[in-house]
Amino acid sequence: MSLETSFWGSRRTGVADLERELTRLRRAQSAHAREQGTTVARASVLNLIVFADREAHARRAARSIAELALRHPSRAIVVLADRGTTRDADGRIEMYCHVPIADGARQVSYEQILVRAYGNVEDRLASAVIPLLVPDLPVFLWWTGTPPTSGRSFGDLVGLADRLIVDSSDVARPEIMLPRLARLCAQAHGLFGLTDLNWTRLTPWREIATSFFDVPSWRDFLDGITGLRVGFAVDMDGRDIHPSQALLFVGWLASRLGWRPLEAFAPSEAGGLLFAIARRDGARIMVRIRPRFERGLAEGDISGIRVQAMRGELAEFVVKRQPDAAHQTATVLLAGERRWERTMPLPSPAIVELIGEELSIMGSDRTYEEALRALVALA
Amino acid sequence: MIFGGSGDLAARKLIPALYNLALQRLLPATFSVVGTARKPVSLEQYRAELHDAVATHSRTKPLNEEVWRSFAEHVHFVATPDEAGYAELRELLDRLDREVGTQANRLFYLATPPAAYDAIVKAIGEQHLRGETGWSRVVVEKPFGRDRESARELTERIHTVFREDEVFRIDHYLGKETVQNILVMRFANAIFEPIWNRQYVDHVQITVAETIGVEERAGYYEQAGAMRDIVQNHLLQLVALVGMEPPVAFDDKAVRDEKVKVLRALRPLAGDDVTTSAVRGQYTRGFIEGVPAAGYREEHGVAPDSRTETFIALKCWVDNWRWEGTPFYLRTGKRLPKRSTEIAIQFRLAPHQLFSRDALAGLEPNTLVLRIQPDEGISLKFGAKVPVQGVRIRSVNMDFDYGASFMVDAPDAYETLILDALRGDATLFTRRDEVEQQWAFVDPIIETWARSGSPAPYGAGTWGPGEADDLIARDGRQWRKA
Repeated sequence: MSLETSFWGSRRTGVADLERELTRLRRAQSAHAREQGTTVARASVLNLIVFADREAHARRAARSIAELALRHPSRAIVVLADRGTTRDADGRIEMYCHVPIADGARQVSYEQILVRAYGNVEDRLASAVIPLLVPDLPVFLWWTGTPPTSGRSFGDLVGLADRLIVDSSDVARPEIMLPRLARLCAQAHGLFGLTDLNWTRLTPWREIATSFFDVPSWRDFLDGITGLRVGFAVDMDGRDIHPSQALLFVGWLASRLGWRPLEAFAPSEAGGLLFAIARRDGARIMVRIRPRFERGLAEGDISGIRVQAMRGELAEFVVKRQPDAAHQTATVLLAGERRWERTMPLPSPAIVELIGEELSIMGSDRTYEEALRALVALA
Repeated sequence: MIFGGSGDLAARKLIPALYNLALQRLLPATFSVVGTARKPVSLEQYRAELHDAVATHSRTKPLNEEVWRSFAEHVHFVATPDEAGYAELRELLDRLDREVGTQANRLFYLATPPAAYDAIVKAIGEQHLRGETGWSRVVVEKPFGRDRESARELTERIHTVFREDEVFRIDHYLGKETVQNILVMRFANAIFEPIWNRQYVDHVQITVAETIGVEERAGYYEQAGAMRDIVQNHLLQLVALVGMEPPVAFDDKAVRDEKVKVLRALRPLAGDDVTTSAVRGQYTRGFIEGVPAAGYREEHGVAPDSRTETFIALKCWVDNWRWEGTPFYLRTGKRLPKRSTEIAIQFRLAPHQLFSRDALAGLEPNTLVLRIQPDEGISLKFGAKVPVQGVRIRSVNMDFDYGASFMVDAPDAYETLILDALRGDATLFTRRDEVEQQWAFVDPIIETWARSGSPAPYGAGTWGPGEADDLIARDGRQWRKA
């Protein structure tokens, strides 16, 4: 398979040659800018390694990063490794580079390098990436697809990174994969942070769920929760089941409210889950996670949540996604009677924005880690 | 006068440097190059070989044929297998003096293996190669001796023909623009010097990392090791430049006086200190830039049970008022993941932190980094607020990039140094007491290592053995990701 050089830049013979070419390109850009009476800053604030095992994914990721150049000028190292497509038994690595100019970002130079690996390069991939990292800048590793937690190059690259970004939305068994990743990161690095783009997508749902209980007269219901239902989107035939957002939401509530596991997950209707959790005071909470088909929703996205609570009277806190998918309606029912309702815009950020948000955070997200821990206990 | 005129150094560095000086119109109007070597070669062939060498190794390309032709007319060659050769050499030098008016100013460049130095110096003396009227200087390549004693002997030998102020011991690191810039940055700016001391600096890290292995130099390297090849000269020179007091003038005496003071203040490492403060390593098989690389003991010309070190990490102390309690961590090695030479000054943390632990998660200590190669420049790391609601702090780099700021290629170190030697400016060359102090520091370490133990193995393409990480981790610090 040959690569399109107009997209990935020109092929270089090694790191020294590649750095020379980047210097030349930066200088050309800088000279051009001077003619226009402006300057170009070489402003790199981070190293971003993107791993992809298909060229389409690599291209999509590269476009996203280019769009982010203004907010997060970076040195991006796209690693494209599709195993088994070549006859090279030993493995071979090529390097390409260029300095794309993002729209509206003419004053910041951004560098993109493609590390193209053929064949089995498990043992040597990291040795091609290390010399490309800009010294002294934090290293983010964005792993597209399901991370092979036992793979050597995965382990090597994680060892270089300060933060690992994954997207659990397309992970089939997130309750197993996510905790495994968390453990791996904890071992690899003291300061290591793990980020899940799916967690970032959950933010508006967490915000609204919290806001119910900011109201003093409803706060007591937090200790009287008896049931929780979370719906998530599936496609029409209900084949692709990706409950990770829904599970993370349950894990988050459990970690915040001190719920403890009572019984293991049990499969319920059409790929859903039904199980009981113990409240802090020991009472049972029934949790139901149900797949729902809804037009216009990405698979795995939460479609709605319903919290039932008993404190003198029955209360229900409901959040639903509107059919247009761009709004969210929160409703509070007391003793079956609607007391309060509010509709808000529901942001559905594209991958670019999610990544952009994650790149601005350096430390680990303790709330996320605790949610994950709770999930481990439940699973 | 280049002794070793058909050698590798002449072809790769010296002649290309002279040609580039000619290109920049920096050579004196009356100027001749005389190459000499033991093996005879015709003048035409010699010039043709140099032409190809310059075409390949010159930093400016393509070769300007017209300038080269005129330059090559003044290139000569004399074979010196015996005394008759030296006599012929003297005749040539005298003839050139008469014909082109070089006024008997002579720069002798010893670009041979060190074993030949003695004989050459002796011949220069006995054959009266020094001009009678003009100046004579001798440039001596590293390694200058192989310990303090042999360095002293070599100096004594040279002093039978040249005065100390005529001896130019070259350490090409000092010719690099960014190395000279250390002095400019420290002493032409008012903002760095006040914080350049134990009060504000937590520690200093100096890294000289190479990706190459021993290549064809196994014969030399087996005897030298990283300690003699890099630490004794380049690394200790960098320590001296970073650590020195402001000199009273920018001249050879004042600058070198201050450098020697730093070298004298280096706390000697001997015996048990070597175990705790020095680590040696030797590379084994691995990968460099994704390509398989052989282990050191598998290299051509290396003994299969060689104990030569290819990696060194050191923790040093400069025992003086300025640096008491501030360690200097040094590391160098071959077959490391990346070619990089840099000096990092890491400052202490702010004394009191106002911000919450979460906000500070992305904050690292202020660090001033002088990058010497590649990608020459200076960067300063400081914490800044991430532009989001609330306070979140992230370390960012303020970066000065030589190439992009000045838009010119820096001259090669050899151009700078040869020009300085021609002008008689010895500031960037190593003085006798300096070189002896450098050996005085490394000798006891070499001796301790020779007595027992062997280097720790590290895979090619890694940052050295785990022992090096432990060395710095014991102090609660870590090596930078260079």
